[in-house]
Amino acid sequence: GSSSSPRAHPETTGGVWDETPVQRSRGNDSSPEQNGQAPTAHPQVVENEEDEDEEMTLKYGAKHVIMLFVPVTLCMVVVVATIKSVGFYTKNDGQRLIYTPFPEETDTVAQRAVNSILNATIMITVIIVMTLVLVLLYKYRCYKVIQGWLFLSSLLLLFFFSYIYLKEVFKTYNVAMDYFTLAIIVWNFGVVGMMCIHWKGPLRLQQAYLIMISALMALVFIKYLPEWTAWLILAVISVYDLLAVLCPKGPLRILVETAQERNEPIFPALIYSSTMVWLVNMADIERPNRNSAEVGLPQQNTHGEAVASPAPASPSPDDGGFTSTWINQQQHQLGPLQSTEETRREIQQMPSARPPVEDDDEERGVKLGLGDFIFYSMLVGKASATASEDWNTTLACFVAILIGLCLTLLLLAIFKKALPALPISIFFGLVFYFATDNLVRPFMDKLALHQFYV
Amino acid sequence: MNLERLPNEEKLGLCRKYYLCGFACLPFLWLVNVVWFFREAFRKPAYTEQTQMKTYVKRSALGLLFWFTVLTTWITIFQHFRAQWGAVGDYLSFTIPLGTP
Repeated sequence: GSSSSPRAHPETTGGVWDETPVQRSRGNDSSPEQNGQAPTAHPQVVENEEDEDEEMTLKYGAKHVIMLFVPVTLCMVVVVATIKSVGFYTKNDGQRLIYTPFPEETDTVAQRAVNSILNATIMITVIIVMTLVLVLLYKYRCYKVIQGWLFLSSLLLLFFFSYIYLKEVFKTYNVAMDYFTLAIIVWNFGVVGMMCIHWKGPLRLQQAYLIMISALMALVFIKYLPEWTAWLILAVISVYDLLAVLCPKGPLRILVETAQERNEPIFPALIYSSTMVWLVNMADIERPNRNSAEVGLPQQNTHGEAVASPAPASPSPDDGGFTSTWINQQQHQLGPLQSTEETRREIQQMPSARPPVEDDDEERGVKLGLGDFIFYSMLVGKASATASEDWNTTLACFVAILIGLCLTLLLLAIFKKALPALPISIFFGLVFYFATDNLVRPFMDKLALHQFYV
Repeated sequence: MNLERLPNEEKLGLCRKYYLCGFACLPFLWLVNVVWFFREAFRKPAYTEQTQMKTYVKRSALGLLFWFTVLTTWITIFQHFRAQWGAVGDYLSFTIPLGTP
């Protein structure tokens, strides 16, 4: 029988922003103006300080780029490893999400193209609606609703999806497992995950959990989005990301500005932080606030998760055992299905000058939203699942995404405000994927055929 | 969350909460408790709350050991005798491997 379709996947915000104190990188422009004058000791000292400042900014930048590379790489590795070994996630069961009701197994290419465009349109509309709902909820101070929503989403992800994942892994490796041990494993994994993410827990464990849930979500997307739809969605999402974060009327920008006006953190975030996030996750915000802390708090935001409840398309006879009443009940309980994307980014205006923080430097770091993790991994996973030339394409996409991330972080260091993390990476990833698949592969094949080594 | 930043009472409170919650069939939580608070409880120079923290860490470790033995024995028994139990074995199984045992 077909496996049950997953019900919901929470999403978290994405986006990249930096917490280092703004240090205007001043160039070494003092000396050239002093033509003909021997540089005095004073300008030299100033120059050295400026050099140090610049160096510090760059050092932060490089260190934190590396700190983000590791989790992004880990997430992608997990996704690719699962795709390659567990057949479930690449097998086409005929199930689809309700967001993508148009099938792609059509007779003509034109029909397929139309279907995938329609699917992508539906999905992006859902996402936009969800983002707007979230912004409205936030504007009208319905914090409890948002928190409950987030809580339920992560609950579902940590318990239900990991249960399915474990089941498929055990099936793949032909291991017998009894219900008792399974219950213990899933219960432990889920509860400790909830504690680490929503309450207090060791940083490494929290980071590990965030990586794992991002990987789980990416796997769900890879399984349930048909091919052309997936690529289209990735492209459209990047554009939406760009618009939502940078345009003055963008919903995410409004969200963050409202948060800053009210001078409060949005809500417990699902953001991956390269350093400790004690400012965010502390339940007691009335800690003695240093300047940095107060400024820091509104920065830790993510917007909730989008819980998209993928119920199989009702016309499809294969509904995986979920009757329509159950589906309706789920929707009723979980609330409207949310988009994934609103998870992402936030814009924040970094204050122009901040007093240096008394905390040590490790406190601040770059944050990346989980939505970005999910889409990066989805791109690489899809590439490894469907590309004809096995590892070349996967590796090419992987490198492309990391390059994009590097560039995004570089822009972050330059502009010092929150930026959308998706567009550059996804754009590069898509370009590399299609180029490698369609140009490099035949090239390599031809070369191998003629035994010509370059 | 960085333990360095917390005052000692809060560390103790956190250790205690992790210890108590572990009784809900959560050996993993006890493991986290032991690993996370080990250095705090045993390697740091003494402070008032540390004695209490030590008891919590020790008890978490004991509970962890207990669960570990229980689970290992159960898993060994199950894996070994599953095929022989026939219908009961199938009923208990979540995934049944293919092929002959």
